[in-house]
Amino acid sequence: MSEIDLTLPGSCTLDHDGCVVCSDAGIPVRVLSIEGDDALCEDRAGNRAQIAVELVAPTRVGEVLLTHGGVAIGKVVARGEEDS
Amino acid sequence: MKYVSEFRDAELARAVAAEIASITDPDRHYKLMEVCGGHTHTIYRHGIKDLLPDQVELVHGPGCPVCVLPMGRVDEGITIAERSEVIFTCFGDMMRVPGSKGNLLEVKAQGADIRMVYSPLDALRIARENPDREVVFYAIGFETTAPSTALTLQRAKKEGLENFSVFCNHVTIVPPVRALLDSPDLRLDAFIGPGHVSTVIGCRPYEFMSKDYGKPVAVAGFEPLDILQSVLMLMRQLDEGRCEVENQYARVVLWEGNLAALKSMAEVFELRPYFEWRGLGFIAQSALKLSAAYADFDAELRYSTPGVRVADPKACQCGEVLKGVLKPHECRVFGTACTPDHPLGALMVSSEGACAAYYNFGRKSFEKVEIGSKE
Repeated sequence: MSEIDLTLPGSCTLDHDGCVVCSDAGIPVRVLSIEGDDALCEDRAGNRAQIAVELVAPTRVGEVLLTHGGVAIGKVVARGEEDS
Repeated sequence: MKYVSEFRDAELARAVAAEIASITDPDRHYKLMEVCGGHTHTIYRHGIKDLLPDQVELVHGPGCPVCVLPMGRVDEGITIAERSEVIFTCFGDMMRVPGSKGNLLEVKAQGADIRMVYSPLDALRIARENPDREVVFYAIGFETTAPSTALTLQRAKKEGLENFSVFCNHVTIVPPVRALLDSPDLRLDAFIGPGHVSTVIGCRPYEFMSKDYGKPVAVAGFEPLDILQSVLMLMRQLDEGRCEVENQYARVVLWEGNLAALKSMAEVFELRPYFEWRGLGFIAQSALKLSAAYADFDAELRYSTPGVRVADPKACQCGEVLKGVLKPHECRVFGTACTPDHPLGALMVSSEGACAAYYNFGRKSFEKVEIGSKE
């Protein structure tokens, strides 16, 4: 898997996410470790949080996820691997 | 740490803007609607409007869930929050949305146990930690947010947690867009589709917009270059006479969406027959309620909320702004009786609300016009 720049999907971080109820709050984070249905994740500013990852399973350490309200809703893909 | 990515590159932005200008018909007026409040925020924060030709107008859509919530639903949430046995939890922006007799922040100041949470999973944790109290989560949001509520309820059911319930106000994006397309007082040429809603639902649900209504759609990300590129994609479609759904945000959005999230939502929610939207009225099958399998977690049933309807303040013109009929600064109370510090309408509360975005970032624009000038 290619290394993905955490700024690729957008500029939000865990402590600065715009408005959480809106679609704007899609925060890119990298998976550091996985424990059951949760993963410890880090944003580009170094903030860390437990994120529920059932909805993007299977998840791997190093992947970049898009999270919203503490739940991962998507995966960020590397350049050239986008959905066609 | 890298803050300025290629999606904020000024040279690239100018190049895209020049290409947009080169295919703009000087004798035509283009109206493109950005459905999502996040896009509205980006457009004003980064001055994208000023990069576009005068003929290209961006119209703000109904994509802020706080803004489209009718006052009656706020009042009902407050009624639940005032119960002594209840710990009421909600997202931060929800705290300041005015009901007919105040907002949740004021009710909290009067002694109600209202707690701001970042995730519904935080509300679940509070329920675990307070088994002698009833914890209610005020669920709000489009399909981006609904999966987190669904997943939380699935976990609550699995754990057999009995002191947790959800006051569900989730809405869906397609029915209001259809209502706008059917609206006789609004002429739109194309749509910038909501990026993160589409992460969940995919691009397929928008196909009716191109097939049945002849409107091009570009699902877009939230950086300035994302917006500009999606405008270019739409202008190219209009220029070439094409009409399709295109995915500008392919680095995140899959055409089919997130199937696991959709499955989770299908288990936990069902469509309401109708739901009231601020400014748009009642729209059929436009909102979610808890399914029969999750009825035990439904705060509406647990607390028998009466379903009150409350009219907006007469001076407030949020409805017209939500439909794109009025620009925010054309509202009669914009910037005077209604400001981010003292909002009358929900559009001024949420940071994604069109009025708040105009107030914070768009002053240059509204100084140009007469209507709404407060000098």
